[in-house]
Amino acid sequence: MAMDVIDYEIFGSEMQYVEVELDPGESAVGEAGGMMYMQDGIQMDTVFGDGSQQQGGFMGKLMGAGKRLLTGESLFTTVFHNESNGKRRVAFAAPYPGKIIPVHLTDIGGTLICQKDSFLCAAKGVSLGIAFQKKLGVGLFGGEGFIMQKLDGDGMAFVHAGGTLKEMVLAPGESLRVDTGCVVAFQPSVDFDIQFVGKIKSAVFGGEGFFYATLTGPGRVWLQSLPLSRLANRIILSAPAAGGRSVGQGSLLGAGVLGGILGSDE
Amino acid sequence: MSDTRFRGRLFGPGLPGSGAPATGRWSDGGSLQVAEEGAAGRLLQADHPAVDAAGFNASSLRISWQGEDGAYAFIIEAESERTICCAAAPAAANRHLAEAAGVTTRLERRFRFGAVLLGLILILPLFGIGLFLGNSDRVADWVVKRISTEHEAQLGELILAQTRLQMKVVDRGPAVEAISAIGSRLTTGSVHRYRWFVADRPDINAFAAPGGVVVVYSGLIRTAGSAEELAGVLTHEIAHAELRHTLRGVIKSLGLHALAALVIGDVSGSVFAETATRLTELRFSRDAEREADAEGLRRLVAAHIDPAGMIGFYEKLAAEQRLSPPAILSTHPATGERLESLRQEVSLQKGKWQPLPVDIQSIKNSFK
Repeated sequence: MAMDVIDYEIFGSEMQYVEVELDPGESAVGEAGGMMYMQDGIQMDTVFGDGSQQQGGFMGKLMGAGKRLLTGESLFTTVFHNESNGKRRVAFAAPYPGKIIPVHLTDIGGTLICQKDSFLCAAKGVSLGIAFQKKLGVGLFGGEGFIMQKLDGDGMAFVHAGGTLKEMVLAPGESLRVDTGCVVAFQPSVDFDIQFVGKIKSAVFGGEGFFYATLTGPGRVWLQSLPLSRLANRIILSAPAAGGRSVGQGSLLGAGVLGGILGSDE
Repeated sequence: MSDTRFRGRLFGPGLPGSGAPATGRWSDGGSLQVAEEGAAGRLLQADHPAVDAAGFNASSLRISWQGEDGAYAFIIEAESERTICCAAAPAAANRHLAEAAGVTTRLERRFRFGAVLLGLILILPLFGIGLFLGNSDRVADWVVKRISTEHEAQLGELILAQTRLQMKVVDRGPAVEAISAIGSRLTTGSVHRYRWFVADRPDINAFAAPGGVVVVYSGLIRTAGSAEELAGVLTHEIAHAELRHTLRGVIKSLGLHALAALVIGDVSGSVFAETATRLTELRFSRDAEREADAEGLRRLVAAHIDPAGMIGFYEKLAAEQRLSPPAILSTHPATGERLESLRQEVSLQKGKWQPLPVDIQSIKNSFK
């Protein structure tokens, strides 16, 4: 399978975007709505499914699109094709604060399992599939749900994660306990399981929930420090429209009446 | 030494963190030889390695051993390579390989079971709704039979209270007295204690709540040309109450709401209040209307009231409908066909009609 080799550059620190350089005739696939800008000579084409051209026929395309629907993504992907004679650039922006992870699929054996809707863009030919989490306990309590995304191919793929990113290499048998929801992506050789926190007291009052996610090596894993849902939750909680209070920086006065008077700009 | 080779990824000290492609082969003694791909690739020998299922969904085969410089693992992910590996394995490793395959299969089976269970849980309420819709008449009949007259009266009270919130309802005055006089002749021998009300609304409408609460809109009285016409409408509404159509409607609607709440969560704060509010707009089935017509006619004849008034009012409604559909028609569709069959029925009735001691004109004047 001939994958398009693409050069890239990631800009920004906390709210990033990736600029991809396409040689003449090369293509990249992006999540619909993820494009930030593109230069002249790049043709945008919306395709049904993931544009990997692996599944032939109408039914194959329909299946691919259905799978994408399950992962919570749009039925369509956008293919950016360089039809000019020179190198052209197209950029894709991450939709929330966090980091973009470039992954060369060949380096990790061709397959990456990642959190659903974390896909940003990839070289054309990378297939975006779904992988069901078949361990029921992990699906229910692992924080990533039953449906995960599987990227297959041998080109570059870009996924994004919330907050700060931690890439780790787990040696054979090495295991890591992770807060549920913080696992972004991992190699399929990594064992993803859950573990009870151990003590009822910790489970109830510890604030970490009842289970950790455990990742057991060998293989490479990517963790995010701030899952989007957690960020969204905090924002909603402190939004005045949703009944939140405008609280100052931990100051007693700021949190009280004074804060309400001084801090209000409505 | 077996010559069959299988491909996988080798992980361990000195190798890339995400593993390196490698090929393995079993030797007769149960040890494994793994050769890293590439010119500078290393050759490793593992005596008595451990074999288990690992990786995402335990779908990979992990052959691990402790080397001199640390732990190594050879992961075989592709199903075809796993098959080759299992086929070529020496007797010593067979048991572990079978165990690993068992783990993978069990996981798969449990997942399928879970998926089917989840599907059933999701489908069950829908199935319940389907069953209820299919048998709603039977279910409603069953429930209605078990509701006592007292409870029916309580429900009527609730609906009356709701109606009072929406419109001005009076329970005395010449209009109420007239309706009461006509109504009591139509309801002799009823188990319900009937109460009569007039609502101050211009719409041509009337409804009978369960338990004998009858509300007539002043607009209807204004439209009625004679006391007999008024009796014709009243008898129809009384028939609905006596045949417990309203109650049945409430139960059907409640049951549907309860099932809907089961499927999509609580639809509204109080399902019951909402149902009671919308009761005045309750639609009866065509059959229920026909039934009410027949029962109403029977009551009219039994009370010696001229049934021609019933026809007269329906004709008036039909004429009104051409201009602008009166409210009563949206809930009581007096179609031409129904009117026709009613005409036939009425023409068969021969009896001595006693005129009603009600002066409709003076009632109309009392509204001023």
